[in-house]
Amino acid sequence: MPPRSKDTNLVLLLSVALLGWLIPGAGHFLIKERARGIIIFVAIVLTFAIGLYIGSVAVVNPVTGKIAYAAQIMNSPFVAVIGRITIDNHYEVFGKPNEIGQIYTSIAGLLNLLCIVNAVYLAHLRKTQPAGA
Amino acid sequence: MSFITTGIMANLITPERIGVTGLSMLWLLPLSLSIAVVYKATKVKEIRAVNFIRESVVLFGSIVVFMAVIALALFALAWLVT
Repeated sequence: MPPRSKDTNLVLLLSVALLGWLIPGAGHFLIKERARGIIIFVAIVLTFAIGLYIGSVAVVNPVTGKIAYAAQIMNSPFVAVIGRITIDNHYEVFGKPNEIGQIYTSIAGLLNLLCIVNAVYLAHLRKTQPAGA
Repeated sequence: MSFITTGIMANLITPERIGVTGLSMLWLLPLSLSIAVVYKATKVKEIRAVNFIRESVVLFGSIVVFMAVIALALFALAWLVT
């Protein structure tokens, strides 16, 4: 039945997107693109970790760094926990470490958004194109 | 174990000291590499080690060279104006 198949496709696409957001690269892993998934996971987690190393957890600040936070949250919903820790403990960072740390963590988030879109696109192509096409 | 955990935690709540010097520009290199690797991971049709590394390195080199050219052009413009 076509409507059921369409629903299944939508569920798959949503699962790929959600998993890719929860853990960078997991969306690709779900559609059996394991090598891509591992490369994406390592690259994005390392980029985010370097950002935290340079600027400390204070670079993730939902109050004073709203624009950067919007990009940072694309890494994973767990970034919200770091934001909570920053606010609760009043961690602050200024100057170059803040700038560079925010750039690293924000770009990691935007790269993960690119990967989520790519994983969803690949999942959609596989569902709509016949095998071997 | 607790020593390692304490070390990691200390690093995560203490920012690095980065001066306003030309050397701080070197921090763009790991970021450019990461962008090149992730972009190529989404673009190449099939992931094969040699091909993937070559394409990533080419993109990384292109980003660095292009930024260096822009930096030189802006430096020259600033020198002419001031």
